[in-house]
Formats: sequence, structure tokens, C-alpha cells
Amino acid sequence: MSTQHSDEETPVSSDGDPLRLRLWDRIRFARQSYTERMPQIESIAYVFISPFFLLFGLFLAFPIVYTVYLSFFEYQSVSSDSLFWIDIGPIFIDVPQIAELQFVGFGNYAHMAGDSLFWQSMFNTTYILLIQVPIMIGLALALAIALNASFVRFKGFFRTAIAIPVSANIVAYSTVFLLLFNEQFGFINYLLSSVGVEPIAWLRDEFWARKTIIAAVTWRWTGYNMIILLAGLQNIPQQLYEAAEIDGASRWEKFRYVTLPQLKPVLLFVVVLSTIGTFKLFAEPYVITDGGPTNATITIVQYIYREAFQNWNLGYASALTVVFVAIVSVISIIQIKIGGDD
Amino acid sequence: MREQRRKDAVWQFTTYVFILVMTLVMLVPLYWMIVAATLPQEQFIQFPPRLYPGTAFFENFAALQERTDFVRSIWNSVFIAVVYTVLSILLCSMAGFAFAKYEFRFKEPIFYLILATLVLPIQLLVIPLFLMMSQIDWTDTFRAIIIPWLANPIGIFLMRQNMKSIPDALLESARMDGATEFQIFYRIALPAMRSSIAALAIILFLFQWDLFLYPLVILETSANYTIPVALSGLEGTQRVYYDQIMVATSLAIIPLAILFLVLQKQFVSGILAGSLKE
Repeated sequence: MSTQHSDEETPVSSDGDPLRLRLWDRIRFARQSYTERMPQIESIAYVFISPFFLLFGLFLAFPIVYTVYLSFFEYQSVSSDSLFWIDIGPIFIDVPQIAELQFVGFGNYAHMAGDSLFWQSMFNTTYILLIQVPIMIGLALALAIALNASFVRFKGFFRTAIAIPVSANIVAYSTVFLLLFNEQFGFINYLLSSVGVEPIAWLRDEFWARKTIIAAVTWRWTGYNMIILLAGLQNIPQQLYEAAEIDGASRWEKFRYVTLPQLKPVLLFVVVLSTIGTFKLFAEPYVITDGGPTNATITIVQYIYREAFQNWNLGYASALTVVFVAIVSVISIIQIKIGGDD
Repeated sequence: MREQRRKDAVWQFTTYVFILVMTLVMLVPLYWMIVAATLPQEQFIQFPPRLYPGTAFFENFAALQERTDFVRSIWNSVFIAVVYTVLSILLCSMAGFAFAKYEFRFKEPIFYLILATLVLPIQLLVIPLFLMMSQIDWTDTFRAIIIPWLANPIGIFLMRQNMKSIPDALLESARMDGATEFQIFYRIALPAMRSSIAALAIILFLFQWDLFLYPLVILETSANYTIPVALSGLEGTQRVYYDQIMVATSLAIIPLAILFLVLQKQFVSGILAGSLKE
């Protein structure tokens, strides 16, 4: 398409020299490129984005809308009926109705208010994240600062060792923690017994079961956050520390007045990322405690899973999902708001 | 001055102790897992536990393999994650290229629509996707695990950001040499994106590798199980075979840990790229 011009419409040339003709053509062609060839480039863009956008629409945008729709219904069964069909001669497209549903209005949302297990799962998730996120970010920050200190040797080794859990499969590491915290032969109780502490019933006690989940998640994600914070620390201009040193600032003052303010955006980002991450917790309680004992560790996503795929209340589970996503979105928006101030 | 030096020494000592303790905390669970995988069950559950490796790894592995075909699950996971990563990179880089280098109608609104879905938790999609997959009879298939996640918002975002840095003059000169737009894409744009693609590949691979809730709902026959689904079912029977479970977790964790050691730079840039914000 882009070569059609040369053969058709440039027979006129001052001296008829074919070589110069071609050169002239090329110059004119280049000049045209940003204006006349624009429509052509535009249409090729649609070719480039259409595979992505087709899948995006079908498997991301549509399901989101459908979840909201589903949350106003009670699920009956999978449906084999057609929702509608398109019949244009040789082309026949049958779009099936996805499920047999019964409209209940805001019934699912109203039901949530009196659902004690829903509130229990909200409480558990909040409880876990309020303890887990500060501990993890504190450790990650301390590690990042320690591994950024000029006097520390073998930084590469320590950084690698501490970051290695980021490669651990979620279910696999949860399984390891399940056995690590085993009451009879787990390594943790062995450690405790070697310093004279009675074995703890980690998974049978409400208080300790939550702590087990917290320990597991912290193990998996501390290195991850350390990597992000370390990158943030390395972006702080060294002159700021030199200036503080000239002013006679102590170690604490340098941390308080240089590191912390400079790191604030990254730190906030990491906090929000972790908060959302812990809010979405599923595999760890599913594997380690199965939500127990007496639902002390059941998280929101786990409750949604149970309602949807064990009790088959897909409508109610969708309503729970909508609330869950709303909360996550609010956390994200707060992040953008706070991040935007800097 | 001497006072200051003493203080520094104490500070440095404390820092080292902290780093060492944390390193141990991170490595001990993995060490303990490997030890447990190499011991016969009786030695593993004794108290006090044995803390150095034994020689029963292959017996444990054979017993595990006899009970459930775990090697099959590993193969399934690797296959799904690799196919997913390759296809998703292709899709995301094509779309990212269009968003970075072409003008077209509704470009901005479409991009922000995609970007908005970045913050949404993927658990949101499990229920509708399950119903859709049941409807088209895709449950218990690999394509049901791979295809819905191909259009990855993080992927398109990263690719667009990085492809913006390709100079327009480069593309324009290729055009003048008669290259088609597709040739420009895969001969010039893609090779220039090598390091971003490596980072994205790690993000995508780990995303699929760690996917649990969705395959748990979709996959039915154990021959199709991915590693996480197979692992979560391992302790379901009457007797718990701890030795076998630890062999399975070792097989799930150690190859990736080695990959992490080898490709650490790419892992780190993957983590940092995934945490980018605009």
C-alpha cells in the first residue's frame, strides 16, 4: 500500500532522470507520512489492539459487569437455554443464557447485614492485616536500611537469602508452614521447647491460629517489600546525608529528617500494596487452618469461596464480591489521593 | 571520639545480628522442608526432630508418585505457565505498541479503562468465569486456565510505558525502507524491549504459577491439576503422609528458588516494574 504512489502519479520530472525521480519521490513520501498516511496507520492500530481488547472485553470487562448483575439474583442452576441468537444466512451464533436466575433485588445485600459469618470474616481479615502489615513493613524497612548501610559486607548474599521466599509457590509454602507449626513435631514447638517453653497448640487455638497466618504471610512477603524499599532508599540523593552530617545530625535524626520524608511515597505505596494483598488473603488460611478453629481465621475471600463453590449461593457470593471489591477500591483510591499530594 | 567509635561498633554489631537472624528466619523453613523430604515418616515425626538430611528422598518420591501423579501436576503447571507467558507477552506487547506509537480514536479512554482494572482483585472474576466456562464446556481444560488471563492490564501498561522510549525516527526510517507495520513491530519494537519483556515474563509466569483459587474451581480431574491444586488435596486422606507432602512442596519450591538465584536481576526488575505507579 505504501508503495503505490511511485508508479502511478509521478511521471513528471524536470529532466527525466529515473534516479533523481526516485529520490524526489522518497522525500515527498517522507513529507507525506505524518499527514496523508495517517488514516492507514490508524487502522493498523486496531489490528494491534483487537486481540487484547477482545479478550479484555470477554474475560475481564464482561465478568465484572456480570458480577454486579448476578449480585441482584439468586442462582438456580446452570442454564442451557439461549439468551439470544443471530442468524444471518451461513452465520449462526447462539449466545447462551449463562445461568438460571431469580431476581431478588437488594435481598443479597440485606442478607449480609445479619450474616454473622460475613462479619466474622471481615473482622478476621482486618485483625490479621492490622497486625501483619505493620510488622512486615517494619521488618522490610529495617532490612532495607541495614542492607543499604555502607559497612555491611556480603550484601548480595543477604539480599538474596532474604528475598528468596518471593519465588515460593503460595500453596507450597503454606503447606510447609502447616507442618512447621504442627503441635506435636513442628519445628517451631521444638525451638520453643529447647528454651523451656511449653508446646503451643498453634492451629487449635484462635489466638495462635491467627498468629500462624500472620507469621506465614510475613515470611512470604517481607523480602518482596524489602526489594521495593531498597530501590527507594537508593534513589535518595547522597548529598542530603552529607549535608545532614555536616550539621552534626545523629543516626536517628538522619533517619527521621532525611530517610523517612524522602522515602514517604515508596513507603506509602508499599503499605497500600500490602494492605490490599493481605485483604485478599485466601490460600494461606485455606491450607493452614481451613478457616478454623471455630472460624477464627476465615477471610473474606475464603468466605466468598465457601458461599460460591461449597454452598452454591453464587448470587450471594457475587454480592459479597461487590462489597469486597468496593473496599479494595476505596483503599486504592486513598492511595492515589495520598500519593498525589507529594 | 572514642565514645563515638564504641557507639558505632555497637550499632554495627546490632545490625549484623539483625540481618543474620532474619536470614536464618527466611532460610530455616526451606532447610527444614528439605530435611523432612529426605527422612522416612517415623524419623520426621519423632521428638526432638532430626535436623540433618537423610537418604529417603527417592523412596518418599516414589511413594508420592504412586499415590498421586505429582510429576504430571508439575508438567501441567510448567506447560500452562509457559504457554500463558508467551501468549500474554505477544498480546500485551502488540497492544502496548499500538498505544505507544499510533494515534487512533478513543485511545485515551480505552487505555484508562484498562488501567482502571489494574486495581481490581482477580478473585472478582472467579464466579462469572466459572459460570461462563461451564456454559461453553471449558471446565477442566487448560485453555480455561490460560485464555481468560491473557489480557493482562499490568502487561499492557508496562509495554506501553517502555515502548514510548523507542524513537519515532527509527520506526519512520523502517517505514521508508518499505517495512510493513507488523515487521516494524517484531523486527524493531520487540527486540528493543528485551529487558522489559524479561521482567514482564517473570511477572506473568509467577502470576500463573501462583494462581490457586481459579484453577481450584475450574479443574476437576486430578490428571489436570496444577501444582497448587494438587498440593492442597494431598493431606485430604485419612492418614497424612508428611514425608510425601514435603517432597511435593520441595519439588514445587526448589526449582523456582534456583531460577530466582540465576535470574535474580530479572526477578528484582519484575518486582519493581510490577510495583510501578504512574
